Amino acid sequence: MRTNKMRWLTLLLVIMLMVGLLAGCGGTEDPAPEEPAEPAEPAEPAEPSEPAAGDVSITVAAGAVGQELELTQAAAERFMDENPGVIVNVLDTPDLAQDRLGLYLQFFEAQSSEVDVYQIDVIWPGDLAEHFVDLNEYGAGDVIDEHFPAIVENNTVDGKLVAIPWFTDAGLLYYRTDMLEKYDFEPPTTWDELEEQAAAIQEGERADGNPDFVVFVWQGDSYEGLTCDALEWISSNDGGNIISPDRMITINNPKAIEIVDQAAGWVGTISPTGVTGFGEEDARAVWQGGNAAFMRNWPYAYSLSQGADSAVAGNFDVSPLPAGDSGAGAATLGGWQLAVSKYSENPEVAAEVALFMANYDNQKIRAVEGSMNPTIMALYEDDEVLEASPFFGSLYDVFINAVARPSTATAPNYNAVSTAFFRSVHSVLTGDTDATTAFEELELDLQDITGFDIE
Amino acid sequence: MGSKKKHSELAKREERTAYKLLIPALVILLVIAIYPLGQVFYTSFTNRQFASSQETEFVGVDNYKSLLSMTVQKLEQEVDPDTNQPLFDEEGNPVYERPIAVLPREPIRYREYKQFSLFGNSYVLGATDVDFIDAIFNTLLFTVSSVVLELTLGLGIALVVHSNFKGRGATRTAMLIPWAVITVVSARMWEWMLAPNRTGFFNTLLDAMGTGNGRIAFLASSDLQLWAMVAVDVWKTTPFMALLLLAGMQTIPDELYEAAAIDGASPVKQFFSITFPLLKPAMAVALIFRTLDALRVFDVFQVLLGQSQYSMATYNYFQLIGNRNMGLASAIGVVIFIIIFGFAIGYIKMLGVDMDETA
Repeated sequence: MRTNKMRWLTLLLVIMLMVGLLAGCGGTEDPAPEEPAEPAEPAEPAEPSEPAAGDVSITVAAGAVGQELELTQAAAERFMDENPGVIVNVLDTPDLAQDRLGLYLQFFEAQSSEVDVYQIDVIWPGDLAEHFVDLNEYGAGDVIDEHFPAIVENNTVDGKLVAIPWFTDAGLLYYRTDMLEKYDFEPPTTWDELEEQAAAIQEGERADGNPDFVVFVWQGDSYEGLTCDALEWISSNDGGNIISPDRMITINNPKAIEIVDQAAGWVGTISPTGVTGFGEEDARAVWQGGNAAFMRNWPYAYSLSQGADSAVAGNFDVSPLPAGDSGAGAATLGGWQLAVSKYSENPEVAAEVALFMANYDNQKIRAVEGSMNPTIMALYEDDEVLEASPFFGSLYDVFINAVARPSTATAPNYNAVSTAFFRSVHSVLTGDTDATTAFEELELDLQDITGFDIE
Repeated sequence: MGSKKKHSELAKREERTAYKLLIPALVILLVIAIYPLGQVFYTSFTNRQFASSQETEFVGVDNYKSLLSMTVQKLEQEVDPDTNQPLFDEEGNPVYERPIAVLPREPIRYREYKQFSLFGNSYVLGATDVDFIDAIFNTLLFTVSSVVLELTLGLGIALVVHSNFKGRGATRTAMLIPWAVITVVSARMWEWMLAPNRTGFFNTLLDAMGTGNGRIAFLASSDLQLWAMVAVDVWKTTPFMALLLLAGMQTIPDELYEAAAIDGASPVKQFFSITFPLLKPAMAVALIFRTLDALRVFDVFQVLLGQSQYSMATYNYFQLIGNRNMGLASAIGVVIFIIIFGFAIGYIKMLGVDMDETA
């Protein structure tokens, strides 16, 4: 009867596997109440200063990219020095925006009071507005005029100030000063110019014995970064903003199609074929290794490219991104804000912490020590800030004119809209289809997602 | 009579005790398996949003419809409006209508999945959720190719480490290392090795061998992505497969081989007449393990391909966390469950047949 035994054993094994599957599925699908407790574990409390009875404890969920966590913890210390009786903990969160959003959503799903202040991406206020308090009711009204109006508008949903701007980002063109000098070029002001220069430099450098040279690197992977890059191309070519602020789908237009087809032509010529798998850090790795003459990236790459381990230190500069038919370059608006959870037990104190961290002095420290772009306009005229990052002054216009992604108009569907968009552009870049076909289909996809009219 | 009655009462009592002893196991099963699964089944019939205060409504089978509906439409040849003659392109091939004009848009829109020709006519296959159909296809292709490769390689490795040689114990331990590495970590490692320039191991290797230009984008080009995933998985799980097969080999008595050797059977003959048939049950168990595991692959796809190619599980994750469509994500979970269930049943049936043969 060995046969029978074996059969039973197998059945048992299969059942065990199936149960494992269920548990796996259930884990993601089912909002198990104990789940949110887990992410709280890696919390690194900032020096608990002898907790006394009646102390209020505030937790800030903040980013930990580069020096971020360090700077936020220092700001928490300063707040605690000024406000005895309040303990501010800093919770570090995943580096990738998408993962961070996943963590936040678990807190919100459980309506958890675990975290009081959230660091949120510039594209989230629309989607997450319902989970945050109106900061105007907590004294933000007095200081909000100091910040860039475009960001304040982005963070205002139905008249409610969802988050206070903390630091901003905009796409920049990094170029190698030594290369441009060698080939006698001026920094490119149009995409066509960039193409010409890139082709010449690539030919020259490869002939000079660097077969790894690729000239122009950017973010072409199928992710949010591609939405930023593609929006810059389209906007600089007068191709609109994917979905206009008055909720019309504008993406399927000749200007947008033209520039995206042009960009698809870069892949495998002036940019490596692998660029369709590049994120910010992949581009920076090639650039910092000295194997590219141009890079599209965010300001954070500036201080890192000047670092001791960088092959391009001292040999590069930044400029606004090139222009298309519109005559002016466009930079996508990025950056992070601080929002106060509606489920917080002490929203007043939490709002105080958020406003403190985003005030003039604290943004200045972040700008000087971490070269993070402040959102307070006056800081762009501050001598200490300008000394640390000279390009803040010369590129002031780029930062204040940055193009916002259509996140507020499409809330709460921005992520679906953006995913449809970058997957569509990605399929053009990899040559699976052309922009005419892709955008015709995308237009209908966006209509399905949002229900808006097509222009 | 009396003693028999007493005996059956005792038996009944024992039966009751047995049931009582089963209760904890049943409760655990109920809490950790039945309840979440029931919840998922129920949610899959609603339009529930993740982390949102939006009212949840019951939508029936809408989620399943929008995931799985497919249609085939015939593409008519384009006609020149002036001459009323069928159109041909420059190479003399007939020009057909564009699929986007043919596929129905109401009540749900169909997107183009594939075009194909049959009996001289051109057709388009449309699906409401092309990404999910792609994800199913990707996962199945991944599962079949990786499991077949793992079985073949694993069998070879198991045969080698089953034989007697010096350092056998150390080899057996060392061969398990890839399997012991956390998948996310090994995926990152492979990400570096597959880098699209000569910082990557494979590009350097191919370049040194004189093929490729040193800039092959393994993870970004749609032709190579899936095979890269198969490579990572085969590297990682072959040792596990080998271990299961090795355990099976050790249950085969040495006397059989001795007898075969005396009868003059060659090692090859011994393998096909003794090892292979007696290894079948162990092989079947290993296959079930690996197939069911491969069908729910998540980590490798998520780390290496993100949102450029989905497996069924990463598409599920994207719909839940990215798009916050909890209802739709639950429906995907149920579909995955059914597919895996189908495979499991198939294997049990196949195994049953095998067992009868060996018996």
